[in-house]
Amino acid sequence: MRRFLLVLAGVACAGFLHAADEPLPKAETLLDGYVDATGGRAAYEKRKSEIMSGTIEFAATGMKGTVASYSDVSNNNYTVVELEGIGKIESGVYNGQPWESSSLQGTRLREGAEKADAIRDSTFNGPLYWRKLYSKAETVGVEDVNGEAAYKVVLTPNEGKQQTIFLGKKSGLMIKRVATISNPMGEIPMEMGMANYKDFGGVRMPASMTQKVMGQEFSISVQDLKTNTEIPKDRFEPPAEVKKLMAAK
Amino acid sequence: MLLSVALTAALLAAMTPEQRSRNIESFDYVWTTIRDKHWSMPAGLDWDKVRDELRPKVETATSASQARTAMLDMIGRLKQSHFNIVPQDVSEVLGDAFKSEHSGEGDPGLDVRIIDGHAVVVSVADGSPAQQSGVRPGWVIRKADAVEIDPLLRKISAVIVEPRTRGLMLSRAVLFLMQRSAGSTIKLEFLDGANQPVAKEIRAIDPRGAAVKFGYMPQVHIWFESAKKDNIGYARWNMFMDPPMLMSRFGDAVQSCKECDGFVIDLRGNPGGLGVMAMGIAGWFISRPDQKLGVMKTRDSELKFVVFPRSEVFANPLAIVVDEGTASTSEIFAEGLKDLGRARIFGSPTAGAALPSVFERLPNGDGFQYAIANYIAEGGKPLEGLGVTPDVEINLTRKALLAGHDPALEAAFDWIREQRKTK
Repeated sequence: MRRFLLVLAGVACAGFLHAADEPLPKAETLLDGYVDATGGRAAYEKRKSEIMSGTIEFAATGMKGTVASYSDVSNNNYTVVELEGIGKIESGVYNGQPWESSSLQGTRLREGAEKADAIRDSTFNGPLYWRKLYSKAETVGVEDVNGEAAYKVVLTPNEGKQQTIFLGKKSGLMIKRVATISNPMGEIPMEMGMANYKDFGGVRMPASMTQKVMGQEFSISVQDLKTNTEIPKDRFEPPAEVKKLMAAK
Repeated sequence: MLLSVALTAALLAAMTPEQRSRNIESFDYVWTTIRDKHWSMPAGLDWDKVRDELRPKVETATSASQARTAMLDMIGRLKQSHFNIVPQDVSEVLGDAFKSEHSGEGDPGLDVRIIDGHAVVVSVADGSPAQQSGVRPGWVIRKADAVEIDPLLRKISAVIVEPRTRGLMLSRAVLFLMQRSAGSTIKLEFLDGANQPVAKEIRAIDPRGAAVKFGYMPQVHIWFESAKKDNIGYARWNMFMDPPMLMSRFGDAVQSCKECDGFVIDLRGNPGGLGVMAMGIAGWFISRPDQKLGVMKTRDSELKFVVFPRSEVFANPLAIVVDEGTASTSEIFAEGLKDLGRARIFGSPTAGAALPSVFERLPNGDGFQYAIANYIAEGGKPLEGLGVTPDVEINLTRKALLAGHDPALEAAFDWIREQRKTK
């Protein structure tokens, strides 16, 4: 047994040496590979709508809540987060106009770079359309992400700031994303980790996500994700106060 | 925090090795968190040295209280607000004076401020047991059960490093001292309007407002009141918490007063809460986009406190009333609107305790509050230690209270009436 292990260790070491000299794969290979690793183009194209529900928790501060999101091929979406002691935070994209409404800050329309980010993120089956969403994608290295070697790919959108994604060398799955949230409140660095990929209607998606923003960390656990369930059209309609702002625009 | 240091009483219960280990773990967590998250450590403070000095005290502590005292000493070296260690049982830290009867959240219905070194009743809640007992604004509280108030105030006052926060901390201490479980009674001794001693036995009632829980923070009760007097709107609430209730009721108050000549927001005694709510409420009064109340600066980023205008904004004069009990989010709100030229501020200088903070649970079960950022108001002034200086400074006097006056509030209403005349 010992000899067997040593042989395997030698093979592994040889593999590392080889990898060190190996040229980095092209970003397009990795991004297309991500589509394949998560189910393939055909599986994505079968998806016409998505309803997700889950929980959200700020472990350090003890805040807990629920999250639900609705999206479909119209690229409209609606997300509602309800946190204990805070209330409802709603956001969405409606006919190309991103918006947000919360009991904390009131209501607003997202504009500028923030609007571009929101529209890009709301693209249904987004991984299929990365060539349209980003003007440039470049593999810049290999990094360790929680003990897993990952290709580091920098994506440059048509409008907005660059973001970096990390795709597992073995799995091809996205395991980390680093971006800057553009917001009237500032340029806020954000880091998101993805794990626990599960098959939801033929496409594998992360069921666990952690996000770090301004020194605070929260996690989202997907409890349920239904695909191709009919979503009432009015589900995407924003609250009346948002509609007033849209009308006044 | 300093109040806690001052009043900490040693608990004699022996600790198990496991408890000691959890205290050391907690100490290390507090030290590391501040090292890693403080936006800019105070000049001249050697944080490694602080650890080397105080960690042995936790290692050799014979009680949870001793360990906590060392941790409070550590965070006290920062000399900044919003750093605190709160025991699981809050009464534990406040010592015998607070421990004897204190066991609930109820109160007799009094509000208190420190005037000329004495705890003076500034308001008596309508229909409360205090009102039914005949207590009046302007009376001085001399004793609560067995506790002499003036010596207690002197004792706490002696260890308060930042004088600007003294009024806030002392009045909060007296209010805390009067808390009882609803239905139980408290013996209070007063000096009445004629400076005659008066003793009352007053029943405590449930705290005003709805109970709200926010993460690991201790439960609080939140209330909101609004009125329309002489075609001027008025709103007051006790904390910036419970956004679903507060924001909805505030919105209703403003919208039901669309044609009012002005609006008065009374933030006296309001110690703050959720910072972002300042932006949400300001949105009812700011019509221009891209205006901000100030900037929160963390170690690696800045967060602008941007105001998002509501679809229907109240455009007439706005007055904000503040005092030494006005702190944190209340200061962010008041100073921001003052700097933007949108509000005129009346009352006395505020507490200057305005650092954004979070509240976590330590391994030993205690709560740990720590500031994560500095806050600079729109006019360029850090609020910490400086607070809000009113445009019209009016300090409350016992004489005015006894005469049934509220000079700061009256001045705010008078100013709006003057604006109406000159319109």
